[in-house]
Amino acid sequence: MNKSTAGSERPAAVRTEKLWKVFEHDDIRVEAVRNVTFRIDPGEFVVLSGPSGSGKTTLLNLIGGLTRPTDGQVWVDGREIGSLPDRELAEIRLERVGFVFQAYNLLPVLTALENAEFTLLLRGVSREERRNRVEELFERIGIAGLEDRLPGKLSGGQQQRVAVARAVVGKPALVLADEPTANLDTATSASLIDLMAELNRELGTTFVFATHDLQLMERARRNVQLVDGAIVADERRG
Amino acid sequence: MVVGMALLVFSRALAEGGHEDWIDAGVRLGSGHVSIQAPEYRRRRTIEHRLSDEDRLAVETALAEPEIARRLVAAAPRLTVQGLASSASSALPVAVTGVDPEAEQGFSLLPDRLEAGRYLEPGDRLHAYVGARLAERLDLEPGDRFVLTAQDESGEIVGQMARVVGTFRTGIPEADEALVQVPLHMAQQWLGVPGAVTSVDLLLESSRAVRPVLSSLEIVLGELPGSIVPLDWRVAQPELDAAVRMDDWADYVFHAILLGIAALAIINTILMSVMQRTREFGVLRALGLRRAEVGQLVFTEGMLLTIVSGLAGMLLGVAVVWLFFRDGLDFSALMNTEMTAAGVVIDPVIVPRFHPTQIAQSLFFILAVGILASIYPAWQATRIDVAEAMKFSE
Repeated sequence: MNKSTAGSERPAAVRTEKLWKVFEHDDIRVEAVRNVTFRIDPGEFVVLSGPSGSGKTTLLNLIGGLTRPTDGQVWVDGREIGSLPDRELAEIRLERVGFVFQAYNLLPVLTALENAEFTLLLRGVSREERRNRVEELFERIGIAGLEDRLPGKLSGGQQQRVAVARAVVGKPALVLADEPTANLDTATSASLIDLMAELNRELGTTFVFATHDLQLMERARRNVQLVDGAIVADERRG
Repeated sequence: MVVGMALLVFSRALAEGGHEDWIDAGVRLGSGHVSIQAPEYRRRRTIEHRLSDEDRLAVETALAEPEIARRLVAAAPRLTVQGLASSASSALPVAVTGVDPEAEQGFSLLPDRLEAGRYLEPGDRLHAYVGARLAERLDLEPGDRFVLTAQDESGEIVGQMARVVGTFRTGIPEADEALVQVPLHMAQQWLGVPGAVTSVDLLLESSRAVRPVLSSLEIVLGELPGSIVPLDWRVAQPELDAAVRMDDWADYVFHAILLGIAALAIINTILMSVMQRTREFGVLRALGLRRAEVGQLVFTEGMLLTIVSGLAGMLLGVAVVWLFFRDGLDFSALMNTEMTAAGVVIDPVIVPRFHPTQIAQSLFFILAVGILASIYPAWQATRIDVAEAMKFSE
């Protein structure tokens, strides 16, 4: 039996086991993630919170396969990814994980629509289907009509909505968002959080955030608190 | 990159033009692009190793072959012997060549280098066209008579009186001091070999025509019992060949430097682009692009940059040459005196030339440089750490 599925019918969206990430440089050793064991079930809306340098982003990167653990294991949607070769890790990111970044990170030479459909393009989805899915999603998240704009011609909130569209358009099992509201004003942040909560509810997509944003922490149904790379609290809300 | 490629095209066209002019001058003064001779004549330049009437007939038939005829500018039958020129004041060793004046007009440079008198004409019988320095040393002027002596067909020393019709000055001491041209039939009668020649020299449309003409000649003449061999100018004029080859190498080095500079420009441009777009490549990797795909992307960008700028540079180079230098570049201001090399006077006006092979080679080199120069940045792009790239601020 797959280790990740033990004791549960559905595989966890994310599961870690004694996960460590240590950075060593010129005799300086930094334990960014220390012995983290936890599980996130499909459909959860979770924040990883904690002070700066507590290891939130590193843990998110480990879950997203952007960096490899020093020790321990991490499963995404039932698949252990810590030891996968680069090629397969790229496939996991493409098929099962969506990313939203603090700085939006849209490709500047592509239009909003082209940015949003990019992962579908990599998956080989036909042009017509890509366009239909993106246009439907744009309508749903309130940015219809901006399809042909370049990122530089969009506001921060609009860019982050395009980034969210890019993350969810491929219907991944998991969306990882690193400080998605950090560059937005309060009203725009609230509206973006509403959008992601709605997508979480309606699509059943698991959202994991690394954030300092109190608004986002209040809206999350679970708050995993980190200090110095270790989990110090894991609070669930009804 | 564009300027580098334009310079490369310009420089190659100039080198091609310079070499072609050089070779052209050399072969016009010497034995043509191809010289058809008896096999032994190259080693022992005596009348004993001559082409018979039958051989000449076979050569004429061969020259009528379409593959040869369309590349042939002129064919000059010549009878050359070593001899002595004597006047009342002195006697000097010379090379005497019996020529067909009509054929020489479209072939040799000597008629154009007339200094005094006139060139030989078809009706001339006992006349000679003499190097100016030889004439000076023998104290001869047009209209004066002198005696030529050489070994005839049977090995006997025979003399022939001739009248100077004109003198020439090429600027090349070996030619001006020791060359004498006389009518072919006079030389044949004097040496007792009616109808015979020592070579039939061919002037072709360009040096690039030598190989196909030589191949055709070898096929046609190969059917004869080994009494005739066609010689490439490189074999017949080894000093000119060595000089052209040496100059070729100098050009190759210069072109290699230009290509090296172009390669560095590409590497620099693409590497800078990779560094400035570290975050972008990180995002692409995060979105699911594989390392190899990111490398391919950078490589493709490098190749596109190379192809676009390479073609733009080539067009610019061709346009500059065509618009400003199609009549030639005049270097005479840099040459105080007439410059000679490998027995050839260098023309101070070089006309740049293009050739399809040269264009194809330039394209090949541009592609090769693009491939080589794109590999390193592409490899660098595959090594980007995704998590680190996300921290990268543009």
